[in-house]
Amino acid sequence: MPRAISAVLRTTGATAFAITLLVFVLGPLLWLGAHAFAGSWTYPNLLPDSWTLRWWQTVFTDPALGSSVQNSLLITPIVVIVSATVCLPAAYAFARFEFPGRRLFLIGLFATNAFPRMGLFATLASLYYALGLMNTIAGVVIVQLLGTIVFMTWIPAAAFAAVPRSLEEAARDAGASRARVFLTVTLRLALPGILVGAVMAFLAAFDEAQGTYLVGAPDILTMPTEMYSLVLNYPKQVAAVFSILLAVPSVVLLLAVRKHVMGGQLAEGFQIK
Amino acid sequence: MAAIIATTAATPADRSAHPARRSAVAGFLLALPPVVVIALFVGVPVILALAFSVGFTGGLNTVIAAVGQNVHRADGIVPSFGAYGDVFTTEAFWQDLALTLAVTVASTAIVVVLAGGIGLFLRLQGGRLARVLSVIAIVPLFIPVVIASWAILTFYAADGFLRSLLAQFGIEGPVWSYTAVAIVIGSAWTSLPFAVLMITSGLQSIPDALIEAARDAGAGTVRIVRTILLPMSAVPLVIAVTFTAIGVIGSYTVPYFTGPNAPTMLGVSLASYFTSYNQPQQSLVMAFVVFLAAAGIGALYVWANFRSARREGRI
Repeated sequence: MPRAISAVLRTTGATAFAITLLVFVLGPLLWLGAHAFAGSWTYPNLLPDSWTLRWWQTVFTDPALGSSVQNSLLITPIVVIVSATVCLPAAYAFARFEFPGRRLFLIGLFATNAFPRMGLFATLASLYYALGLMNTIAGVVIVQLLGTIVFMTWIPAAAFAAVPRSLEEAARDAGASRARVFLTVTLRLALPGILVGAVMAFLAAFDEAQGTYLVGAPDILTMPTEMYSLVLNYPKQVAAVFSILLAVPSVVLLLAVRKHVMGGQLAEGFQIK
Repeated sequence: MAAIIATTAATPADRSAHPARRSAVAGFLLALPPVVVIALFVGVPVILALAFSVGFTGGLNTVIAAVGQNVHRADGIVPSFGAYGDVFTTEAFWQDLALTLAVTVASTAIVVVLAGGIGLFLRLQGGRLARVLSVIAIVPLFIPVVIASWAILTFYAADGFLRSLLAQFGIEGPVWSYTAVAIVIGSAWTSLPFAVLMITSGLQSIPDALIEAARDAGAGTVRIVRTILLPMSAVPLVIAVTFTAIGVIGSYTVPYFTGPNAPTMLGVSLASYFTSYNQPQQSLVMAFVVFLAAAGIGALYVWANFRSARREGRI
């Protein structure tokens, strides 16, 4: 009998844990999502009094909001491309070459995460004034680039390192040129890791608000920086609509690479080797 | 780092003679671009800031020193610790620091318990529910932090879901929005996916045979967790803890949106010292305090990685 009781207890425990987690993670999102379609909402009802689409209209017809969407969709891809150009060769080097300072470099890239972002942006201001980067697209790109470097270096580096050398050597023995081996074997096998790195970089850049605001405002406003003023100046429902729009690119991208993220590419990338 | 550059700079002359050295040079050069970007846009500003915080107001610091208020200047080459004095004698700073540390510890603990629970559930029991949970826990990764903060604020607000639900049963629920509780919830929420990914992948890589052998020998679940799973997934666990803690300790968006005006986390108060009070020097002193704490946590991460590398015979 005690065995049956412990089985029941275990099932109850697991169910309670599952429900807590569900409410904890999804609850706030669903609650906010419902606001985007809510006319008015009386406390303590669990559902709005009426449903409406007029908040969506408000967002789509507001020119300031539209231009922030445009800015975000323009700047973020630039950041990802720049980040890939700067970081991918380095990722390959970290995986395949032994050179002095390798470990120091890896840890140095990580150390950027330890300095509080807001403090960093405050310190960046002097340099930005000196270089004339304030209020420019280039300035915003650089500020967003800083947060992408760890993802774009570490995750692809782990992916390159995981490509078996024996495969590359076999291809070389079969007469393939060095470039061909790199393109058809190494790059191909490391591609999932590179994609995960790129998506994480995209999210980091897309999400970046504080630095972008400090450097870009008031001329260059992206979606997250616009969100700051939205929350203060518009009804709750407008911010909810904007939130849904802001989450769309991330959700689409992450769904595309979900399998690889869950498959350990991300976790693998964060262990220094 | 200067020494490294010096040694490699000397090599090009004879590099054709040594293939190994040539690949070392190639690797070094390939790895250089991101390091240069970081050195220029993080390293240089941080060093400038350190100089500025002790009163060296020349060079690139001229503008910020001219604009800022309450700036303490060094006397020639003798640094001035006036700004540090200002900050350390402010009562509010110590309250903010205490809150920052408390929030960091609490949210890291919650994240580890939740992520560990999911990891163990998936590893020991498996099944559909466990897989669904591990996917749901990744959802916050999809959501920009600004939205997450806003969603959590409305969820736990006076007219939010929690209070609405409890009101159905005639219970007056707590208002957590604009309190430290909301900061903890928000920080845990946004940090959960990374910890889940690290911890589940660490636990999944432990061979079944080990666990089954222990079971056959009569070990209970608790014993298996304590003697096999915990030690064998220690490194991913430490990585999860350190990244979560470092992310939370310097955070800005979550406490800015969800937390109280005062006391608040240092990330927020250093920002308001910079923008609202226009006291850049004092703001940077706070940044260095947070940096020191984060660096301490980061050292733990580096140590864990080296330990695992040594155990696997890589160094």
